[in-house]
Amino acid sequence: MGTMVFISPERLAAALDRLAERFDLWVPSASSRGGGAVRFRRYASGTTPVLDRLTALSPKEAVQPQVESLLRFRYTKDAEDPGAIQLSLEDRIEVKPTLVFGARPCDARAFLLSDRVFLEGPYVDVYYRARRESTFLAGLVCREGDSACFCSAVGGGPADTAGSDLRIIPVGDGLVIEALQERGEPLLEGLGEPASDSIQEAAHQVVEEVSGRCMGELDTSGSIDAFKSRFQDGDYWREVAERCLSCGVCTFVCPTCYCFTITDESRNLQGERLRSWDSCMFYQYSLEASGHNPRPTRLDRYRNRVGHKFSYFPEKYDGQFSCTGCGRCVRSCPVSIDIRRAVAGLKENLCECP
Amino acid sequence: MNELRKAIEAEWPRLEVVIGWGLGFDPYHTRPLFVRRSEDLSGLIWNPFCVQNLTGYLVKTPVVKAEDKAKKVGICVRGCDSRSLVALIQEKLVVRDQLLVFGIPCSGTVDWRRIAVQTPLSGVKSARFEGDLLLVEDNGGVRKFSPDQYLARRCLRCVHPNPIIHDVLVGEPVPPRAAPGNRYRDVESFEQQNLPDRLAFWQEELDRCIRCYACRNACPLCICQDRCIAETREPRWLTQRMGVPEKFLFHFIHALHLAGRCTECGECERVCPMEIPVTLMKEKLGRIVGDLMGYEAGIDPEATPPLLTFNPAETGI
Repeated sequence: MGTMVFISPERLAAALDRLAERFDLWVPSASSRGGGAVRFRRYASGTTPVLDRLTALSPKEAVQPQVESLLRFRYTKDAEDPGAIQLSLEDRIEVKPTLVFGARPCDARAFLLSDRVFLEGPYVDVYYRARRESTFLAGLVCREGDSACFCSAVGGGPADTAGSDLRIIPVGDGLVIEALQERGEPLLEGLGEPASDSIQEAAHQVVEEVSGRCMGELDTSGSIDAFKSRFQDGDYWREVAERCLSCGVCTFVCPTCYCFTITDESRNLQGERLRSWDSCMFYQYSLEASGHNPRPTRLDRYRNRVGHKFSYFPEKYDGQFSCTGCGRCVRSCPVSIDIRRAVAGLKENLCECP
Repeated sequence: MNELRKAIEAEWPRLEVVIGWGLGFDPYHTRPLFVRRSEDLSGLIWNPFCVQNLTGYLVKTPVVKAEDKAKKVGICVRGCDSRSLVALIQEKLVVRDQLLVFGIPCSGTVDWRRIAVQTPLSGVKSARFEGDLLLVEDNGGVRKFSPDQYLARRCLRCVHPNPIIHDVLVGEPVPPRAAPGNRYRDVESFEQQNLPDRLAFWQEELDRCIRCYACRNACPLCICQDRCIAETREPRWLTQRMGVPEKFLFHFIHALHLAGRCTECGECERVCPMEIPVTLMKEKLGRIVGDLMGYEAGIDPEATPPLLTFNPAETGI
């Protein structure tokens, strides 16, 4: 294990204040009236991090904001020659060092999956890269998993460290912060007191206990081909997704859904090119300019979501699923659609439904 | 509760499909269930964890309907859902004769998120009722919750727990949870605040909105579906920006399109992943419509909602 410091409850605010001096710091927090979903917000002095409840949204917005300006444009007309219009572009990328504090293992792993899409090429997304390279993750050992969680079934686990620079281990009322990566070491400076032997021992025990937990069961073997065999099985998709409302909840709360749309929004002679989250659950997502829509119903759209995560993505990226088992899509779905059921069922009774 | 299943089984020969509730991802969450084969009737359940308003499935594509014209679509409705159904009948969006309505007197449904705010739960092992108390066993032991603590906000202000319309009534009528004069207490207490505080409230609440449109898609009366003003591309009425003004505009368009139509079933608020109290806006409109026009939505299938009485030939407007 790496260097460990201990932050007592009394020192937590000071530690976060200190981190916020150096970073754009994101912490899970509730609304000021206490209610409302917990989500990652930019830290301001006095914000109380909520580490004992799962968050409604993943911290993906720290790297993939829900909307961002890709460039600004301006047309300039020449009064002498009205036909001559000049276009000027400005595409500054503004990035600050960022630290996500309290990302759970499922959320931290999700960044590694999106990295493959945006950084591996053939096209590298420079906006993504700029943010991602300056983002640090302090991952939280997760003890709050519920019946919707299934990280253990898709290659992760509640104490998994993949993607994290630091690890946060709740010990008693306080937190032990452990440096996992070399680049995490300097972040510990001045955060708390060096962890005593007994606290280190307690932290080991927490990690060991949580590592032993198996969160969720799902047999994903063969899903790449099983999905293709099921593709045209309308009865199957009706069974799985007839109740789908075609809202964007599952995709927006998902740590690994990364689809976006680009719009130019202008007023008079100037405007911006915006990139914003899009959802394959929306009718407009696949609507073509001709008016044709290859995924006209919610059944087609839900099928695409399952296929992308458990067939197309692993086929392209060494068998990795585009899912970290965070369970948010299950937990937040207004009509309790369970992607585990949709994946598990792919292989059931296949011979009857060729 | 087997009573509902028995009632549906008795009517099964007349039915092609039944829309009811089945088990969701655990025993304490339910899902809409469409039953088309008699052997699947055993999957139907009814208990205070059954939270979804199912009437939207009668109007949103692909619409659940009976292919055999001699048969009907069975639909399970609680008091609140029955009002949605009345509104859909009024607007001729569903045909009453094609439905067989199983009405269920309802004493309220469980809102797990309200419970979690009061008492964070971890590792829920069981949940059961003892009288009207909800007993939940989790890693911290057995915890008891009273109806005031576990019921959804919409249930705490419910004045129509018994179905307004039904063909088969399943169970005995139950007393309403709130007195009619008390149904707008949340709006009233909100309006006790001064204007800057109210503005601050909505700014903070709507800031959380992620524009997933679950509120709209779960609403049985939001019938524009894929033609919603929020997403039209030509013309693009709303920008893609994520500021509070854009979100407010969407939510207000949603609310205004429902003025005099909304039955305050609370689905929009229930489905919001960010836990924004969006039904509150519609409650305010419902109250205005009640005060100005003496109209309550979703009660009389023969009535015309006041804002649908527009007549271009009328003079003096």
